[in-house]
Amino acid sequence: MQTPIIEIKNLSSGYEEDVLILKDVNLTIYPNQITTILGTSGCGKTTLLKHLIGLLTPLEGELIVLGKNLAQIDENEMNSILRKMGVLFQNGALLNSISVAENIAIPLEQHTSLSKDLIEHLIRIKLELVGLSHAYHLLPSELSGGMRKRAALARALALDPQILFADEPSAGLDPVTTAALDHLLISLQKQLGMTVVVVTHEVNSIRRIADRVVYLDNGQILFSGTLDEALQSPLPQLQSFFS
Amino acid sequence: MEPYSFELPETLDFHSAESVYRPLQMLISGEKPPSAIVLDFKRVKSLDSAGAAVVDRLQKIAEQKNITLIRQNLAESISQTLQLFQLQEQQSTKKEEKPLFLEKVGDTGFSLLHSLGNLVLLLSNMMYWSFIAFFKPGLRRKDEVIHQSLNIGANALGIVGLISFLIGFVLALQSAAQLQLYGANIYVADLVALAMISEMGPLITAIMVAGRSGSAIAAEIATMQVSEEIDALKVMGIDPLPYLVVPKVYAITMTLPLLTMFANALGIMGGMLIGYTYLDIEILPFYNEVLSVLRYKEVFISLLKSFVFAWIIIVTGTYFGFKVKGGAEGVGRVTTASVVFSIFWVIVADSIIGLLFYFR
Ligand SMILES: Nc1ncnc2c1ncn2[C@@H]1O[C@H](COP(=O)(O)OP(=O)(O)O)[C@@H](O)[C@H]1O
Ligand SMILES: [Mg+2]
Repeated sequence: MQTPIIEIKNLSSGYEEDVLILKDVNLTIYPNQITTILGTSGCGKTTLLKHLIGLLTPLEGELIVLGKNLAQIDENEMNSILRKMGVLFQNGALLNSISVAENIAIPLEQHTSLSKDLIEHLIRIKLELVGLSHAYHLLPSELSGGMRKRAALARALALDPQILFADEPSAGLDPVTTAALDHLLISLQKQLGMTVVVVTHEVNSIRRIADRVVYLDNGQILFSGTLDEALQSPLPQLQSFFS
Repeated sequence: MEPYSFELPETLDFHSAESVYRPLQMLISGEKPPSAIVLDFKRVKSLDSAGAAVVDRLQKIAEQKNITLIRQNLAESISQTLQLFQLQEQQSTKKEEKPLFLEKVGDTGFSLLHSLGNLVLLLSNMMYWSFIAFFKPGLRRKDEVIHQSLNIGANALGIVGLISFLIGFVLALQSAAQLQLYGANIYVADLVALAMISEMGPLITAIMVAGRSGSAIAAEIATMQVSEEIDALKVMGIDPLPYLVVPKVYAITMTLPLLTMFANALGIMGGMLIGYTYLDIEILPFYNEVLSVLRYKEVFISLLKSFVFAWIIIVTGTYFGFKVKGGAEGVGRVTTASVVFSIFWVIVADSIIGLLFYFR
């Protein structure tokens, strides 16, 4: 078996002292795979992602990302881990006062010393990957919801992250664009060896892309395994999900 | 001429991209570029999007100068990555055309005229609905008039009172020394009373309310606009003007004159304090002097001004609130614009009314 890229051990956490949102979560994510996380809304998927990118600290348990225990590293090490991650937030989280291109330029200017024309070229490449070539000069408020999601994905992909976290990337997208996005994720995983963690509800999409499936239920991991195992699982929740 | 050959490094990624791109780009756009450049991928083991961007970008600028770019010893996996990150679409090279000076003047004039038209339209709509909704309270949001009156009027009493008191105080202080020279001490009462009631009271109150409540009105409406709440109201069959705006119109039209009278009174008290401490004028003579100099005209002008200012504040707030574009950042923009604009027009209106009544 490969060495894991992310390990979650006995993670318990919540926003308020007495209300646990995640209860004793154990999960291993392997490199160069696409892991999909599913579960009913409000079950804690976004909360789990926020722990993995260091935005929330657990009440109990350990998080080991890229070989580092997040609780034991200093800011510099955390930054170098963050540099290798791309995050697509659930609501996109584009900066609204600057154009789409400027949004994507932020990580490129922050973390590389590339010249202006290469950065511009890269922005165009990333926008074309998500099918938004024409949105270069537009402001986020001039895009539709699904377009904003894709622009945010382009920003998350700016630096070819080792790990891509995507929180419901295809919510609000049409089936055609969803399929194109799925193929993009697969190509990135194949050609750059990217590890992809996607929260999604699209059954078709899961069937297309998932190497592994994780089912979160009320803050606990109900199921974790390969796609085939998930499809054949006798668990009623999974069966009703895939039928 | 011999084709120029360039051996690419083992990893062509975000770190090495610039050092590969810069010399080749200079070569291509330089004085005597070779007719062909060979990019040798022999050593390349890994390539990411930055590396692909270098190759793709060099290809594009080489094409423009009729230079052939040859890729040699390309491994299958590298070639696939290059393909994934290759720009398909023709980069739009068209520059935005700069409009001519006269065109700009024309455009600005037109859009000003357009805004003015919208403003007048909004004003007449607001007058219409203020009239209609008076008889049909069902059109208005429940309890909103009282709520808004408290917000705009009662909650502003403290700050408006304090500032007016200080203004009256300062007015008296500045003139006291001059008046003392001529032994005309008692006239400080006339001066403060007239200045406060016909000028400073209405103006200061309006500026305070424009900053406090005009901005709040613009921000509230703009926020509702960008979050589609206004659209939701319309779909539910509710006209936002009588529902949201008219209660504010009633509230500000009632409370601004009251606030102004309050401000006048406190301003005169500020003057009284100086009169008492600095010019040895007892309270009662000061009071009598104030009453003797005031005519109906001053009080009427004070009320008239505050009424006009109230409408300027509410109309600009509403106008900018509905005019918002973009998301949350648009709200900040229109809020600022509404305050600046309403204070400007309050002062313009103040001058106009002053000219009408005092110009001889
Ligand atoms: N910032 C917050 N403060 C308090 N509770 C929160 C916060 N964010 C989410 N929650 C709660 O945590 C639970 C899980 O939320 P979330 O992780 O966003 O669910 P989802 O699986 O839909 O992404 C929900 O019950 C939600 O109410
Ligand atoms: Mg969520």
